[in-house]
Amino acid sequence: MNKTLLFILKKLGSLLATLVIMSFIIFMLVEIMPGDVAQMILGQSATPEAVSALREARGLNDPVLKRYGRWIAGVAVGDLGDSIYMQGVAINSILWRRVGHSIILALTAFIMFVPLSIFFGVLAGVKENKLSDSIISFFGLATMALPEFVSGVFLITIFAVQLKWFPIVSVIPIGESLFSNLNILILPALSITFVMFGYVSRMQRSSMIQVMNSDYIRAATLKGMPRSYVILRHALKNALLPTITIIGMNMGWLFGGLIVVETLFGFPGMGSLLMIAIKTRDVPLIEACVLLITVIFSLSTMTTDILYSFLNPRIRLQGGQR
Amino acid sequence: MKRTISIMLLILVLAVSVVFAGGDKEEAKDEKIIRIAEQVPGLITPGVWDGQAFSMNGSIYEYLAEMNPDTGELEPLLATAWETEDGSTWKFTLRKGVKFHDGSDFNAQDVKYTIERTQDPTIGHLKKQDFEVVSSIETPDNHTIILHLDEPRPTFVYQLTDYNMAILSSEYDYASLGESKPMGTGPFMMQQLTPKESALLVRNPNYWAEGLPIVDKLAIYFVPDIDASISMLESGRVDVVPFITQVIKTRLEKNPDINVISPYQEMRFISMRVDEKPFNDNRVRLAFKYAMDPQIIARSVAQMDLNDGIFYNETPIMNILAEYKEIPLRGRDTKKAKALLAEAGYPNGVSVPMYYASDHPFGKELAQTVQELAAPAGFDIDLKGYTRDIYLSQYWMNVPLSITGWAGRPDPSMLLLLAFRGGGSWNESHIDNPKINALIDNISEEANEAKRLSYYHELQEVFYEEGSLIDVQVPLLIAVSNKIVNYRHPLTQIPQYKYMDVK
Repeated sequence: MNKTLLFILKKLGSLLATLVIMSFIIFMLVEIMPGDVAQMILGQSATPEAVSALREARGLNDPVLKRYGRWIAGVAVGDLGDSIYMQGVAINSILWRRVGHSIILALTAFIMFVPLSIFFGVLAGVKENKLSDSIISFFGLATMALPEFVSGVFLITIFAVQLKWFPIVSVIPIGESLFSNLNILILPALSITFVMFGYVSRMQRSSMIQVMNSDYIRAATLKGMPRSYVILRHALKNALLPTITIIGMNMGWLFGGLIVVETLFGFPGMGSLLMIAIKTRDVPLIEACVLLITVIFSLSTMTTDILYSFLNPRIRLQGGQR
Repeated sequence: MKRTISIMLLILVLAVSVVFAGGDKEEAKDEKIIRIAEQVPGLITPGVWDGQAFSMNGSIYEYLAEMNPDTGELEPLLATAWETEDGSTWKFTLRKGVKFHDGSDFNAQDVKYTIERTQDPTIGHLKKQDFEVVSSIETPDNHTIILHLDEPRPTFVYQLTDYNMAILSSEYDYASLGESKPMGTGPFMMQQLTPKESALLVRNPNYWAEGLPIVDKLAIYFVPDIDASISMLESGRVDVVPFITQVIKTRLEKNPDINVISPYQEMRFISMRVDEKPFNDNRVRLAFKYAMDPQIIARSVAQMDLNDGIFYNETPIMNILAEYKEIPLRGRDTKKAKALLAEAGYPNGVSVPMYYASDHPFGKELAQTVQELAAPAGFDIDLKGYTRDIYLSQYWMNVPLSITGWAGRPDPSMLLLLAFRGGGSWNESHIDNPKINALIDNISEEANEAKRLSYYHELQEVFYEEGSLIDVQVPLLIAVSNKIVNYRHPLTQIPQYKYMDVK
């Protein structure tokens, strides 16, 4: 138990270190972007005096490290600051509502693609080189190769324009919440599912094939156990390990990947917010969004590691985190 | 696995609690509402307002005067009358009984505050230079304001219709509330603003004009993607989408429920930089102008006939304005163009890059057409398209040849000082021609209208002979559901939603 606790603590420590380093890199990257907030606000016609006055007024003339310190100190206590660009608007008031939307979208996609791709992956693995395997593998490859903005348009054309089952644009009517408009989740979640299905089902298929060809499965089969029992009880548990890793790693990716899907569907989540922040050069908002994506990415990677170690005790006990 | 599920449930519950912050509903029964999809605005506080979300700000704030879109004349709004002797002293009589949305009274102090605010260095006011000419402000009573200018500006009243000159309350803290709780005297008040997402405006019950506004609410969605906006329009979720492109217009023409209207033209300046090779030589500029074919440009850029919604000239004055002088178009003459180029020392033609905003309506189409037309005359044009924000923040002032979008100004002298007077802050062609400078000065200071017009005409002739630009005037396109009655949108760029109705 001590070892497990130590393992988790170590993971948490490295997570914290990653975040500190990443926050610094994010801050510096934004720093070297051409033009600063004062210049953006004043535009091309600004005189140098006006720019420097505005810089002074907004505390932009302080040294970089001092500004980084100010920012990170705020972030540490959960205050992402006011947007320097939109004076008086707290980033917290914009961001969390959208993060909530994105989490719900990601979870909806998760609920769709995880069972679907595991089921079909197992099916393809068990029926290796049969017709059903070929069909599933082909479909998986095809959807994986299609970027979200292609499959998204495809889905919109079929389900929104032709069949009119779902709205074309995933906008929440003013004053209503996401929960009275759950149907706007379906198409964006489906187009995420399209991409993820390929990855996960292929991974599931190959690990299933590997496991099914291993000695202990053959032994179990020879013992006369029913095939379904062998597959569900013996094979699946081991064949799931690599799949879980892939899913976990991709949860972080999925969050970053929401930018495309959310922008395409006009969904008011964090991805489209980041897009808007970049377009309007809202520097503090960009920093907050990117930092949050980093946090989510690190957290999902860490969760995967921990989960994996529970499922596969060898990693935990042999110090797999080398 | 149980653990994973419980973690997920926890996240779900958290997300639910964050999201469940419902607000006021967009639509109730028996209410008239106009729904608009706008681009996502940056800053919205007047003074630093970046010129987006016109439907929102233009409904919350008001100006001293507004323009009648049918006649192009200025009509009283917060000022009931204005007068000037020679353009150096301006007296405005202000409307009585007007209240701001916070209940405070509108008076001369508010106008004084709004004008003085332009010179506050901590704001970075976009109209700072235009109002530097104001030397002193008098407020003899609560409803009169007198501006004294350093130099005569006979058309100064137009400066006060600029969208950044919305009248603000002297008692309101715009520095900290301007972005989150915009507040003015306008026909609609902000009820709920979700930054970067949407805004719900409701009728101002104390609005001074009887019977206005006609509709009860304006629901404004900020949609980053124009195609998403159009999808919302097509599926009936919004009624108005401003600033669409020609391609979308063509697509919408088949839809009987949607009209595409063009309230006025915008300009695209094909600008040649005159202080650098090759365009420092007027013969090269003339050669370039001779290579163009206005009719082909009109057809291929907008699928329209010349002078039927799209216009072409070689001066900064729009064809629709009273100041425009009709100068016959130069015919296309590639032989002459080649000869001029050779004379200027480029017998084998010249290579030049052309920069433009690729995502701006008509930008790409115009760039490609110009490239094709100029090639036979010996101009080898290398197209450099960038998104508009990058184009404007990095290139347009520093390149030999460019296409820039300009909004028309109701008073062209505002534009001349900005872009064609030596030392002007947006002088993209770097032109500093003594003849042109003198004419621009005369135009901005001359009080006699007939004389001013003659200066304008002279200026346009000079531009035709040795100017630095080709001015293609493309239609501003707005997609409007046919439920909307009386869509009004004058050259000041402020759509007038208070006059509009819904069927």
